[in-house]
Amino acid sequence: MAEHGKGPLAGIRVTDFSWVWAGPFCTLQLAHLGAEVIRIETTKRICVTRLLPPWAEGQPNPNTSGYFNQYNQGKRAITLDLQTSEGQEIARRLVAISDIVVENFAAGVLDRLGLGYEDLRKVKPDIIMISMSGYGQTGPLRHYISYGPAQVPMAGFSTLTGYRHWDQPMHVGLSYGDPNAGHHAAFAILAALWHRHHTGEGQYIDMSQWESTIALLGDAILHQQMMGYQPPRLGNRDPHMAPHGFFRCRPAEPGSLPEGMLLEDRWVSIACASDDEWRALCRVMERPELADDPRFATLEARKQNEDELERIVEEWTLTQDPFEATRKLQEAGIAAFPPLCNKELSEDEGLNAWGAFAEKEHPIVGVRKHIGIPWKLSRTPCEVWRAAPVLGQDNDYVFHQLLGMSEQEVAALKEKGVIV
Amino acid sequence: MVAAPYTAKLMADLGADVIKVEEPAGDPARARGPFPGGKPHPEKSGLFLYLNCNKRGITLDLTRPEGQELLRRLVAQADVLVHNYLPWEMEERGLDYASLSQTNPRLVMTSITPFGLDGPYRRYKAQDINVMAAGGWAWINGWPGHPEEPPLKAYGQQTEYQAGAVGAVATMGALLARLKDGQGQHVEVNAQAVVASFLEMTYTGWPYMRVVAVRWGQRPIHPVDFFRCKDGWIFVLCVEEHQWKAFVELMGNPEWAQWEVFKDRISRAQNYDALRPFLEDWIKDWTVDELYRAASERRIPFAPASTMGDLLRSDHLRARGFFVTIDHPAAGAYEYPGAPYKLSLTPWELRSPAPTLGQHNQEVYGGLLGLSQGEMEALKAARVI
Repeated sequence: MAEHGKGPLAGIRVTDFSWVWAGPFCTLQLAHLGAEVIRIETTKRICVTRLLPPWAEGQPNPNTSGYFNQYNQGKRAITLDLQTSEGQEIARRLVAISDIVVENFAAGVLDRLGLGYEDLRKVKPDIIMISMSGYGQTGPLRHYISYGPAQVPMAGFSTLTGYRHWDQPMHVGLSYGDPNAGHHAAFAILAALWHRHHTGEGQYIDMSQWESTIALLGDAILHQQMMGYQPPRLGNRDPHMAPHGFFRCRPAEPGSLPEGMLLEDRWVSIACASDDEWRALCRVMERPELADDPRFATLEARKQNEDELERIVEEWTLTQDPFEATRKLQEAGIAAFPPLCNKELSEDEGLNAWGAFAEKEHPIVGVRKHIGIPWKLSRTPCEVWRAAPVLGQDNDYVFHQLLGMSEQEVAALKEKGVIV
Repeated sequence: MVAAPYTAKLMADLGADVIKVEEPAGDPARARGPFPGGKPHPEKSGLFLYLNCNKRGITLDLTRPEGQELLRRLVAQADVLVHNYLPWEMEERGLDYASLSQTNPRLVMTSITPFGLDGPYRRYKAQDINVMAAGGWAWINGWPGHPEEPPLKAYGQQTEYQAGAVGAVATMGALLARLKDGQGQHVEVNAQAVVASFLEMTYTGWPYMRVVAVRWGQRPIHPVDFFRCKDGWIFVLCVEEHQWKAFVELMGNPEWAQWEVFKDRISRAQNYDALRPFLEDWIKDWTVDELYRAASERRIPFAPASTMGDLLRSDHLRARGFFVTIDHPAAGAYEYPGAPYKLSLTPWELRSPAPTLGQHNQEVYGGLLGLSQGEMEALKAARVI
């Protein structure tokens, strides 16, 4: 069986009560850094992401979901019903030999199970625990439930993001509050580990997903106060760069795209941050006369004539393949890239050459091309040591090896519906 | 701009002594605004002020050999160096990890890059929109079912914030590793890969089912949509059957809700064109806040499409003390987003507003590096600092 890598958190153990996406995305970062993350699950209430597609070859099964398997790589998993008092007792025993506890239930849920911070610090005084609820542990709305997709409008992204000519809030395309909360929670935990190393003290971290998402909008919050109104929807434009946007490219050849993709759905993103880059773009477009055109010579002029500017750029991109255009533009020092779909992402030359993918054998779905670790450490390399666990995959390891329970004990607890 | 400054902000806000090194012209974020009354001023840019509170600031021309030497002396005393210059820019200045680690083997150097330090795109430039494209995010955002509209960028510099947060995570990992043997290391963050790592369930659609992702909103289940209220917009999210039941009850059990075409969430999606007008008609007479609370009390996870003003007025955020007032000597007093997490023993804290350009030159060059007044005058005259 594969072993843990040499990541910097080797030897750190995490009891992971979290589910759906935000909490598991936090513990994914910890697993990437080499911590031993043990997910507490139960077949009585299976994690939402195990029940959502995409399933391998479309066959629904709690162990074949690509959603779950992407975000739980390198973790262990046991089954334990926390609604039973025996289950709660076993969870406390596991916490007693852990360094970190992560949870993202609504406020108060774990307290009612005898697994709140005050309970857990009794069994492990220096435990570091983070609660990642939607609204935080205090405040009048703390008991409201919060779903990932709702965090995006809650935090203000939907009134800021959108096409200029549509008077309509937009989503941002994913439940952005979740991975953002996961990144921030992982950082807070690591900072608490640093403090524990120097003082021996653990601590409790109250994190609100709502607040950690608003933390990405500091400039917009200040805009409201400095200008008296919030930033207008700019679509893909930028106040300080022009051209700046997605430009339509030459349609793909019939038959060259996988099913479901429109031949016309071909674009390239282009951003000119300086007048030099604009002049370089004129050369790439073979329109040297535009370089001296006063309508476009300065950023201010290009912003004033942006409709015409975008029309001219698109006239050129419509003759180009998006990948070919990207090569030409980047060679000339202009920031550009096509919007990759998931298939193109998995085949992307750069990501593959850099080593962005993790392909570990999974007991049921085999080898799939998951996204791996987006950073590299030169001296203590991080690696995905194992694919995501199937339900209860580590019951033996945790109950026997870590907790020293006997075969009979475990069998009895299975019988009683505790280890299920 | 955003990525490396955000890494350093996260560390500064938890107590690290961060010295921000700016080129003499200043961080480009100083030019971005927003500005009070819309008047550009390098000391009053909201983006800069937000990202750099709790830091000290010095100026240094890294294109000059004297500037590079001063940076080496500074780094000799530092635990961490974080930057988001393009890979070749630091190499050309002799400020790559190989040379800096000779000065200080304990150094953790964190390089935040759009595409990594090596690989075929190592010389590529990228702004936020390009990384959003390269990481697969832009593809899944945009008006669903409207292929005449381009992919849509999310507001702000989101790929930079996430690369910055990941930079902070990986940097802390390297600092914790250093506790074991005192050795630093080089941390490399690939922003394209960071974005690809958080595409919800859309990325694995390819390796698991050979399905190409579509824009968010083309959903097999409904309702998940924005609706107009009397005074703004609300996000209706009601895809679990018990939530739908509670919603129908809240609507007073209208007759249409019993129709076969709306019997489950898949039917509601297939017949959404028929469903939406009923919902529109009922929702339009509510205020956003009343409907949000009425739904939430019934455990239906609606959400307001918050404006910045809504956030600043929120009772809940007020009760938690989320916004903090920062009085900056040039820009004045404003409310900033505060702690993204509350640590019980070592809380997020505000110690100082963002530095003015070169504000701490004297104490860093004179104090920390021990330069004499004469040396500093000479460097100033040569426009190195």
